[in-house]
Amino acid sequence: MNPWARRSIQGAIVAGFVAVWQASVTAGWVDPMLLPPPADVLVRMVRLLGDASALHHLGVTLAEVMLAVVLVTPIGIALGLFLGENKFWGAAFRPLFYFMSSVPKSVFLPIFILALGMGFSQKVVFGMFQAIFVLIVATIAAAQSVPADWIRTTRSFGATRAQVYRHVYLPAMLPLILEGLRLGMIFNITGVLFAEMYASRAGLGFLIANWGMNFDITSLLAGIVLASLLSILVNETLRWYEHRVGAWRG
Amino acid sequence: MTTIVSDLNHDSKSAMNMSDSINTLRHDSAALHIDGVSQTYQSKSGSVHALDDVSFSIDNGKFIGLVGPSGCGKSSLLMMMAGLLEPSSGCIRVGQRPIKKPEPEEIGVVFQESSLLPWKTALENVEFPLELRGVDVSTRRALASEMLTRVGLRDFLDRRPHELSGGMKQRVAIARGFCQNPRVLLMDEPFAALDEQTRLSLGDELLSIWEQHRKTVVFVTHSLTEAVYLCDEVVVMAARPGRVIRRIEIDLPRPRTYKMMATARFGELRDEIWELIRNVEHV
Repeated sequence: MNPWARRSIQGAIVAGFVAVWQASVTAGWVDPMLLPPPADVLVRMVRLLGDASALHHLGVTLAEVMLAVVLVTPIGIALGLFLGENKFWGAAFRPLFYFMSSVPKSVFLPIFILALGMGFSQKVVFGMFQAIFVLIVATIAAAQSVPADWIRTTRSFGATRAQVYRHVYLPAMLPLILEGLRLGMIFNITGVLFAEMYASRAGLGFLIANWGMNFDITSLLAGIVLASLLSILVNETLRWYEHRVGAWRG
Repeated sequence: MTTIVSDLNHDSKSAMNMSDSINTLRHDSAALHIDGVSQTYQSKSGSVHALDDVSFSIDNGKFIGLVGPSGCGKSSLLMMMAGLLEPSSGCIRVGQRPIKKPEPEEIGVVFQESSLLPWKTALENVEFPLELRGVDVSTRRALASEMLTRVGLRDFLDRRPHELSGGMKQRVAIARGFCQNPRVLLMDEPFAALDEQTRLSLGDELLSIWEQHRKTVVFVTHSLTEAVYLCDEVVVMAARPGRVIRRIEIDLPRPRTYKMMATARFGELRDEIWELIRNVEHV
């Protein structure tokens, strides 16, 4: 199927979903108190984006997510490199990180609240905690994926250690690390929003939880759409970059 | 005397006939000396002699083959010549100096095609060793594209390895080796991953490039036919422990043509090598 035909069908499915949603409300199949029409949700979303208080909450969430990723990326990559390259400590710590990357980390949230309170820093640290394991595991895999052949060849050209890192390890590992970072970013956003919904006084998650408790379903849905758009934007940007630097992987 | 002459020789790379006459004056015309090289490593069942007291010299400008069964240490020996592996005892010298680390201006290596970096184009792969050495962009680009043109890849400079056939990739690897312009070129089973037809025609191309430069080549291969066809001399090795059992001079005239493979002399030489390898294996 050609890409344009595929795009059109994909677009039609999304449009169809919104149309069915609108039609069910208009036809009276669902209670508009429980499911307001999409047009109302869209209008509310635009209004929220013009509302100083809503923007403040959105800004808090963005700041938490960004700070978490800025802090966790170098730490995760450095730990992953260390564990991927160092035989002894790699073997010692690898099981812990592999297991932790499969555990639902949300269950640890109460501990973070007890330790760090319910403010800004707790959200940042919890976002980092959500993201770090997948990033470490991806970096370990990336380090081990570099064929010994490429390193030996480059050394035979008289390359220094730094040149081997710069010209072989970095370009070879980058696409795999970015894949880990992309997954980590999704977990980071999930963690921050969840922590805000659970206990906080600011952030998009806090608003969403509040709207839910007050039966403001229109705002709740608008908030959900905003959170989704944020995740999609981050995910697709990283995916685009990942494909760009990983085109050689074929 | 020796050092002065070898300096002269090094500086006048372009003057081929001059270096030939100097070679006859030199006391020592060898490019590489392998002096009592042993390699042992520890395995679960004790220590293994990968190489046991190997000694021989390789003359300047010769095309030398290294053959032998797997485990005879021919690849280890090549890696030691490249400065990528340290012998447990003994040493390998280029001129008077022992090789301790890779010295790409003296000794270059042609690896298998899988050694190309997949995110670099053919041109970038070939100029990569020069880039590491700090050669400026326009010079190294000109050298690399000239070399690629010589191996028939002028129209493929901007292709990445995954867009090239196996034979083309191996041509890139060969161009990368020659582009470094070392005095000695080591080749580690460069054609092992190719089909027979590609192998044959690449062998011919390699010979025609080599005829122009007459660099010293050390060529590791599993194929006896290839060894006899390409080389001036074949060093036959045996395993357990890895050692040299015979050096056989290939007295076929140059330039070689593929018709020579059908001659009686070609068959005799190949049989002689095969008998050596087989008899030692059955001991």
